[in-house]
Amino acid sequence: MKQVINFFIATICAALFSQAVQASPLVIYSGRSDKFVKPVVKAFTEETGVKVMLHSGKSTALLNKLKLEGDRTQADIFISNDAGNLEKGSELGLFKAVSADIASTIPANYRAANNTWLGVSARARVLVMNTRAQDVEFVSSVFDLADPRLKGKLAITHSGNGSYIAGVTVYMEAAGMEKTKTWLQGMKNNVGNQVFNKHSKIVKAVASGKKSVGLVNHYYIYRHLDKNPDAPIKIVLPDQDGMGVAWNVAGAAISKYSKKSADAEKFLAFLISEKGQKLFAEVNREYPTRPGIMAAANVPAAGSYKVANVPMATLGQKRNATLDLIETVGMP
Amino acid sequence: MTVYIQQLLYRFHIEFSVRGALAILVALAAAIPLLFVVYNSLQLSTDEWANLWSSRLPELLWNTLSLAVLVGIGCMLLGVSAAWWISRRTFPGRKLAVWLMILPLTIPTYVFAHIYTSLLEEDGWLGRLWQYLFGAESVIPELYNIVGVTFVLTLAGFSYVFLLVRDALSRSQRVLDEAARVHGASPSQVFWKVNLPLLRPAIAAGLALVVLHVLSDFGAVSMLRYQTFTLSIYLQMSGRFDYQAAAGLSMVLVCLSLTFLILERFFRNRQRYYGNAQSKRFEPPAATGFETFMIWLWLGLIALLSFILPLAWMLAWSWEAWVGDLITNEFWGYVGNSLTISIMAATLTVIVALPVALYHARVRSYLSQTCLHISSIGFVLPGPVIALGILAFVLAQMPTIYGGMTVLVIAMVIRFLPLAIQSQEAAAQQLTPSIEQAARSLGAGTFENLRRIVLPILSGGMMSAWVLVFIDTLKELPATLILRPTGFDTLPVRIWIEASEEMLELAAPAALMLVIGTLPVLWLMMRSESAKRM
Repeated sequence: MKQVINFFIATICAALFSQAVQASPLVIYSGRSDKFVKPVVKAFTEETGVKVMLHSGKSTALLNKLKLEGDRTQADIFISNDAGNLEKGSELGLFKAVSADIASTIPANYRAANNTWLGVSARARVLVMNTRAQDVEFVSSVFDLADPRLKGKLAITHSGNGSYIAGVTVYMEAAGMEKTKTWLQGMKNNVGNQVFNKHSKIVKAVASGKKSVGLVNHYYIYRHLDKNPDAPIKIVLPDQDGMGVAWNVAGAAISKYSKKSADAEKFLAFLISEKGQKLFAEVNREYPTRPGIMAAANVPAAGSYKVANVPMATLGQKRNATLDLIETVGMP
Repeated sequence: MTVYIQQLLYRFHIEFSVRGALAILVALAAAIPLLFVVYNSLQLSTDEWANLWSSRLPELLWNTLSLAVLVGIGCMLLGVSAAWWISRRTFPGRKLAVWLMILPLTIPTYVFAHIYTSLLEEDGWLGRLWQYLFGAESVIPELYNIVGVTFVLTLAGFSYVFLLVRDALSRSQRVLDEAARVHGASPSQVFWKVNLPLLRPAIAAGLALVVLHVLSDFGAVSMLRYQTFTLSIYLQMSGRFDYQAAAGLSMVLVCLSLTFLILERFFRNRQRYYGNAQSKRFEPPAATGFETFMIWLWLGLIALLSFILPLAWMLAWSWEAWVGDLITNEFWGYVGNSLTISIMAATLTVIVALPVALYHARVRSYLSQTCLHISSIGFVLPGPVIALGILAFVLAQMPTIYGGMTVLVIAMVIRFLPLAIQSQEAAAQQLTPSIEQAARSLGAGTFENLRRIVLPILSGGMMSAWVLVFIDTLKELPATLILRPTGFDTLPVRIWIEASEEMLELAAPAALMLVIGTLPVLWLMMRSESAKRM
């Protein structure tokens, strides 16, 4: 018994008084799915020999952590699945600018104005439609989703979802506050209180015919088709004769207080290298943001359709306004 | 001079002692998160308060209170009925039944939420059963509403009521029942007029635990997106970086919980009952065949929903993970991390709680009461708020310890201190001053006294305190998410990450390890309890 107690006391002392080990690896705060980030990290370490420690969580929570930690942070890199968080971090002064020759590889629309973050892969907000559904042919714009004819036939996710919020921001910017508000109200009437917890379930519901049309990120459709190649669903690119499809990017930034800037830049350079772009984007069938690198084969090619002309940085700048709008309408 | 000071202190009813000083120190440390909340909410202007009041509060109050009431009722129904049958009848498999009622404690609320949402999907076991029973077109019930949240939190919480009520029942005496029967009361009258009133303190204590867990639950409500105070506070902080609004909401929550705690203490204090030590223990009669059938039907149903079905789910998906070779060395690393943090937190909490419990058990002064109440802050503040308060304090005052395990351990200690104090205080009541005085008169000093008299007498209480804190730390999610050292993943953190990515085969083994990790300590607790009864 005494030995047990001594052992406990020893462990406690050891843990309490040992300083946090000076982290030697490159520390990445990642808000993106582990299964998409791990292969990239592995390839990076193999190529450069730089060891990486991955600290995964949710993007917003990690951004909070970064903010609170200030100059005590161990993070060198911040990866987020949503441009909103990246821009927010930039506003809060948490990042340092990437050197111009790396940043200029990415089109200006998909990075911060001051190069404090880079979009690495993009996803499109599209409609998934059941090919056998009646009376939904008229839907060619996301704003048609508010049409009362879709009552009970529409599948959308809950309003806490990051992709959903980002989409609403784009529509608000492109079509105006009032139109977006009316649209949200119309959708709210159409779905009642039945919203979906996950995008994958929306696609499932549309495929099974329980719902006729849904609003999702493009890759969920192909994920479903992977497992069920005969599923009666098709992708519809909305607003082709209007504002265009809403895009959002996942991206990365270098922490302002990183003590390993050189390695951190190496990592970003790897992300936008041809190999890195393929690895980061293709596992999830997203669009590489670097021009000239193709997305997965069955996805509608970037450039073959119209994309809403809203800089990704807006997703951060207008985030709170969007949240307010969603709350005013009371979207479930 | 010294004598004079002592006299002065005595006059003001302040007894200076080592334990008093330590108790005050502990209370001061525990007050840090509260200070954070008070400080931040003072930054809110009147307008902002008014805005908060009109826009969010009514809905949050309604959501939170109605949930607390419903879960309270649910836990009382399950907990009291199970405890009653198990202690008032002997029937085959009674020991097993006790275990089945306690085992749900090993499953965290967010695991319940995750398991039942996936079971109720169209291709989940319950979803398929539902469509088989009610037709393919029938709508499978969803958990994303108050009924679902109540269901999940009741299953996760009723064991507290069960434990406390069973303990009270096992201590209750037959003389009272017999006296009532002699005076012509029917068995049901005995139950309503004699047994139930005597159980009131235990039920109240169990319900208090349940309600406080509901108020501070983060995992289940965020998975099921049910807006309670705790979830809303978290969203304010993490989604909008609005610490002041979050602190304002926390302030309201603290007031709510405190009111509730005070009410509970008030009712409990008026309901003391002292038995005669010599009177006979209750020897429960054997159940008839029909009774045995009914008892097992009821207990079996509870056990099926609260443990057997979740366990089967965990085993099934863990098997998938095992076959798919997904259990890597990393996974065992998470297990190690979880155990390390839980053992450290439990041990430290028990040590830290000792002076507070002793001080309050021995000295009844405003100071000792205050120490006790301040140390109970972990009960009334939600995990994310405690974590942030400590984070802000550590970063401002002692940044050198930031980033290590220390901060996480401190947070766990503050969060679960009340659990440890409560069980140790109960044990400390048995420590009459005369024993200590006798030891002193025989020449034992303070520390010899502590080692040879106080600690052995308290050991039972310390044991159960350790077990309770260990279990809760093992399951803790929100504070760990915020304060863990970089790259330090525990089982709950992994469950959280995998579940949000719908990686069932990775979330299941982690949940299973939580259950397995808790089993030995539960067994220890049950063994020491049954030893006490011999």
